[in-house]
Amino acid sequence: MNQPSVSIRASSKSIRSATGRLSRFVQGWWRWLREVTGDAAYDRYLAARGCPTPRPPLTEGEFYLDRLRRRYSSINRCC
Amino acid sequence: MNRLLKILGWAAVALAGAGALAVIAIERHEPINAVWLVLAAVCTYLVAYRFYSSFLAVKVFALDDTRATPAERLEDGRDFVRTNKWVLLGHHFAAIAGPGPLVGPTLAAQFGYLPGTLWIVAGAVLGGCVQDFVILFCSIRRNGKTLGEMARDEVSRRGGRIAVVAVLAIMVILLAVVALVVVNALKSSPWATFTLAMSVPIALGMGIYLRYLRPGRVIEATVAGVALMIFAVVAGQWVNASAGWSRAFTLGAAPLAVALIVYGFAASVLPVWLLLAPRDYLSSFIKVGTILALAAGVLVVHPALEMPALTRFADGTGPIFSGKIFPFCFITIACGAVSGFHALISSGTTPKMIERESQARLIGYGSMIMESLVAVMAMVAACSLQPGVFFAINSPAGVVGHTAQAAAQTISAWGFPLHPATMQQLASEVGERTMLDRTGGAPSLAAGMAQIFSRAIGGGRLLAIWYHFAIMFEALFILTVLDAGTRVGRFMVQEAAGRLWAPLGRRAWYPGILIASALMVGAWGYFLYQGVLDPLGGINSLWPLFGIANQLLAAVALVVATTVLLKMGRRRWLWVTLGPGAALVAVTMTASYQKIFHPDPHIGFLAQANLLAAQLASGAVPAAQVEFTRRLIFNNRLDAVVTGLLAAMVLLLVVEAVGQWQGILTGRQPAVLHEAPYIASEWGRAEGD
Repeated sequence: MNQPSVSIRASSKSIRSATGRLSRFVQGWWRWLREVTGDAAYDRYLAARGCPTPRPPLTEGEFYLDRLRRRYSSINRCC
Repeated sequence: MNRLLKILGWAAVALAGAGALAVIAIERHEPINAVWLVLAAVCTYLVAYRFYSSFLAVKVFALDDTRATPAERLEDGRDFVRTNKWVLLGHHFAAIAGPGPLVGPTLAAQFGYLPGTLWIVAGAVLGGCVQDFVILFCSIRRNGKTLGEMARDEVSRRGGRIAVVAVLAIMVILLAVVALVVVNALKSSPWATFTLAMSVPIALGMGIYLRYLRPGRVIEATVAGVALMIFAVVAGQWVNASAGWSRAFTLGAAPLAVALIVYGFAASVLPVWLLLAPRDYLSSFIKVGTILALAAGVLVVHPALEMPALTRFADGTGPIFSGKIFPFCFITIACGAVSGFHALISSGTTPKMIERESQARLIGYGSMIMESLVAVMAMVAACSLQPGVFFAINSPAGVVGHTAQAAAQTISAWGFPLHPATMQQLASEVGERTMLDRTGGAPSLAAGMAQIFSRAIGGGRLLAIWYHFAIMFEALFILTVLDAGTRVGRFMVQEAAGRLWAPLGRRAWYPGILIASALMVGAWGYFLYQGVLDPLGGINSLWPLFGIANQLLAAVALVVATTVLLKMGRRRWLWVTLGPGAALVAVTMTASYQKIFHPDPHIGFLAQANLLAAQLASGAVPAAQVEFTRRLIFNNRLDAVVTGLLAAMVLLLVVEAVGQWQGILTGRQPAVLHEAPYIASEWGRAEGD
């Protein structure tokens, strides 16, 4: 009688671990995509400022414009 | 045991690569499968990455993870940003992957699949990857300095100036030739022209969304933009089918060239958030996605290579471009094996973002391997077409004749059977009026890609959609190179002009912006227009000029790197940069000499100019053509002068550098290295604890 419940428990555990792995994989890709595209750049900028400084941080819109200005001022696309 | 397994594993990879090369070498009469080519390339890349790049990292550069990188020492959250190595690999690859590795191998397929593929693979692992890696390493050690600044510091002040002028000149030629590729892909094609035209309003919409509605939310804006672009590809067939709309979007080469010139100017003077940046997001997504899809398609479909290993055009009489395998196969492949332009990316933003020195191996060497694999895929796509069809698409009408009948006759006489009806059938299958005289490589690559994609998904029903998707993909990211390049060129012109008159150097001064943009666009626009008017299609003369310019820049980068290695006391390992550098100097100088002085008018610019001048003098040119012929003569002479100037600049830099090497080797001159001082890394220590 015990046998099936052990196997059900084992299989539900393996399903849980498989979904866990899948969700970690998807989260990893999502993080990578946000970093590569620049979606995460503003969060990084705020984090890099660290301790409070006299000047207030740029707003999200200002930061976006500043980032574009820097990015397209040097060669960033190739033949 | 573990070690034994590793040795056996790498021996198996090496044997698989050698086996695939053996199949390619032995099989001569039957078409071979593309899988052998891809397997040989991939195994070579794996072995080269595992062993050669490791040797470079450990023995030659002695990468040091205890040394803080610029991202750590100068971290500011803007330029100097600590970035995960896989993210930086994505950034770097998206930056270096341009149209070159797709178009170059397609054109070089006229020699057959073998010479081009061998150079793509060998040139990359021994030359291109080494260049990207070493320049990235040098720039990391110098706070992210550019190639020009490193040439100035490490070679000489004059060397630095030469490098900057060479970069600007090369950009002009590059932008002209890639614009010409787009013109040739879009001319007389309402479907393709409509699709590409739609990218402008889509990008404007994205730009406004990203600026005002949801600043910086690139993913959501780009996903919507990509969906709209795909819809534009599908909608293009309705435009094509409607008589009125079709007429509105059917443009000849000259009006298309003017449209691109106007577009380039607009992208340079408009705010970057409005047009340039959103188009770049669109094209980067589609570019990376399509390259992955092409790789998957080649693996799934594994087409047979219809092109012979070596064609009769190895003798230099090719219809797409003239000249023998040495040096023109090397010049034509360019970016797929070695790209001088990569040195500008490797010494731009990437060194400011890298976490540890050892990661330069993956990012510098590794991403060039990926680029080289893209070039192999392009070669496969081009060579999977029937050779007759390949030559009919890529040969200028001036060479094969203006009608399907004449083209089929000429190409069949070369030994590549082609029925005139075949080209008409292909054109109707892909939704075009004609597929003849579509020089530039993009349409034949699109035809090859469409064939591979449609065999994987959709079959013949979707051939036209796949063809126009491929054209959209190529044209979209070529235009991104065009607008981003024009803008950077504008800054370089402003910087130079600012030395003559200070206000011109101010980046935000609007008259200065307009003048510098007009100068930059005028320069590449002139060469573009010259290519459009050329009776041989323009690619014939402009692509070799671009290849020479690009490879000359690579030679500059390798000369600078050799100087640095010498100053670092790595005399024993100088060959790693000196070898490919010397090979590139030999290739580019031979090609430059031949393009200027070769007695065959198909190869030598001066011979062509003299031939036309003689025809003009003898009265053989009809009165209506006199003015046009005069312009052709001038253009050929101009091309000769430009080639000569580029070659002379690089020779001058080589002479400067060799003089310095001699001084250091004989002890007459101290080896002063301009590295940033060593500062111990906290990041490495924190993670090591």
